[in-house]
Amino acid sequence: MQFDRMKKYVFLFFIALMTFACKKEKATDPIIDPGNEFIILDVPVGFPYPNIPSDNKPTLNRIALGEKLFFDPILSRDSSISCGSCHLPGLKFTDGVALSLGISGRHAMRNAMTILNVAYQPYSFWDGGVPNLEQQVLAPIENPNEMDFDVNLAVERLRNNKDYVADFQKSYSLEPSVYTLTRAIACYERTLFTGKSKYDRFIYEGDSFALNTSEKNGMIMFFNEEADCFHCHVDYNFTDFSFQNNGLYSVYPDSGRARITGNASDVGKFKVPSLRNVELTAPYMHDGSIATLEEVVEHYNSGGQPHPNKSNVVRPKNLSPQQKQDLVNFLKALTDE
Amino acid sequence: MKKLFSIAAITLACTTLLFTSCKKDKSEEPTPSTEQNLTMHLHSNVGTHAANYDSTFINSAGQRFTIEDYRMYISNIVLIKSDGSELPITGKIFLTNPEIDEYELGMVPVGNYKGFRFIVGLDSTINHSDPSTYPSSNPLSVQTPSIHWSWNSGYIFWKVEGKVDTTVAQTGPVNVDYLYHIGMDEFKRTIDFTTDAFSVNSGQDQVIHLNFDLAAALINVDMTSELMTHTMDDMMLATKIANNWQSAFEVE
Repeated sequence: MQFDRMKKYVFLFFIALMTFACKKEKATDPIIDPGNEFIILDVPVGFPYPNIPSDNKPTLNRIALGEKLFFDPILSRDSSISCGSCHLPGLKFTDGVALSLGISGRHAMRNAMTILNVAYQPYSFWDGGVPNLEQQVLAPIENPNEMDFDVNLAVERLRNNKDYVADFQKSYSLEPSVYTLTRAIACYERTLFTGKSKYDRFIYEGDSFALNTSEKNGMIMFFNEEADCFHCHVDYNFTDFSFQNNGLYSVYPDSGRARITGNASDVGKFKVPSLRNVELTAPYMHDGSIATLEEVVEHYNSGGQPHPNKSNVVRPKNLSPQQKQDLVNFLKALTDE
Repeated sequence: MKKLFSIAAITLACTTLLFTSCKKDKSEEPTPSTEQNLTMHLHSNVGTHAANYDSTFINSAGQRFTIEDYRMYISNIVLIKSDGSELPITGKIFLTNPEIDEYELGMVPVGNYKGFRFIVGLDSTINHSDPSTYPSSNPLSVQTPSIHWSWNSGYIFWKVEGKVDTTVAQTGPVNVDYLYHIGMDEFKRTIDFTTDAFSVNSGQDQVIHLNFDLAAALINVDMTSELMTHTMDDMMLATKIANNWQSAFEVE
């Protein structure tokens, strides 16, 4: 009887053991980190919510990691420059020079664009050669005139850094890799918005006193055929993201979009940039060749140089000095308050 | 005693059960007579010499050069069965280099084949996929040195770099950089060996021996003056080289 009971216990013990034997080891209950909850981005009033890749939804931890990487020179060959060296927050994520400085005093090929509102960009760079933000991260790291580094070696540096290993684990539950590096930086960049200017107050908040008379006159010209800016600089972000030849040169040393497509009809075409904060993002054009807003307005007023690919809307406008000043004043009303 | 024995028996039974309960079912080995392993041996040559990163070579125009990086993507391999039907070798993409000859295609049905074909390069979907999404063991992951254009998202299908003697008399040092990076969708090339019959016999793994002659790939390229193409910046030179690929391959 006693033995029978014992048999029963032994049997039950093994059944229990079998039930648990196939289960994976359960980690101790994970502490819920609020930094890993998906968040809703704080999009400016009047703006649509941007498309976000399903594998890179924003969390506070991911954004913090991306920001840390963005400003860390660890990603350049000689650890001298970071993304933030050419995209300075104080200059609306531009750098104030015609061509950005890479490592060892080298110059980048084109002017550093702002990355504010980059969440809305359908493709990256002046020539649109890269289809999304995640892949864009690779280009400045590899570019010999910028960070001039091997992405795999950059990842190796991150793997040898205890803090980064912990950061990546915390935010992506993965080790540093090309995948997580590109995700983290893109995740941060998608949080950088701009859309709180006098113009926005006027348009989206119905504050009719937000713009003065000169700015209003400039706005009217901007949005009609008189100055004809709105064909390309449209919508909440003041760009249609098209590629246009704006008559900057008759012969382009930099072929622009044609560098990607190989089409002669794309020579001298560059992606239309946003005009938000344009007052603070001088110098202008893909090569930073125009120093001031007044000169930019004069360029478009003159109709630019002849070129077979030049946009039809770039033609002589014969604006008066007051009209040009109104346009400049309107452009300055696009600066975040 | 009897009771003790029965406890021991139950214990033993349970223990056995315990240790076998987690094992996966063993599937039956494939019958060796219906499938065999097929491997491609790609021999990288320059003329009659094996290509390597140490020697100085001579092209068909008598120009001396060295090789520092020499890789190409081979994908979309298709075997043509004797009845004309096609057997695509799915999921196999190779990034070749002169230091590796063997590229395993995997198990294929025993039988007679009329030939095969493949492409040098990648089809458009893969060409524009995100390299950061591949594990590092995958040839499509970011390589060191890179074989992907990060500024014009796409892979470099065929890459040769090294140094060349640019003197007319070919008595100078071999010290001027040359660089041929060929990519973009329209530069992939189908390499056709659809009439080079072979058979895969039961009980015997098969090897297809292929040669690729770099000198033939660079025929009509004046390496002393045509020093560089990233494809986009010299489409003529890139086209000339890509159009040489088929004739640079031969089945041994």
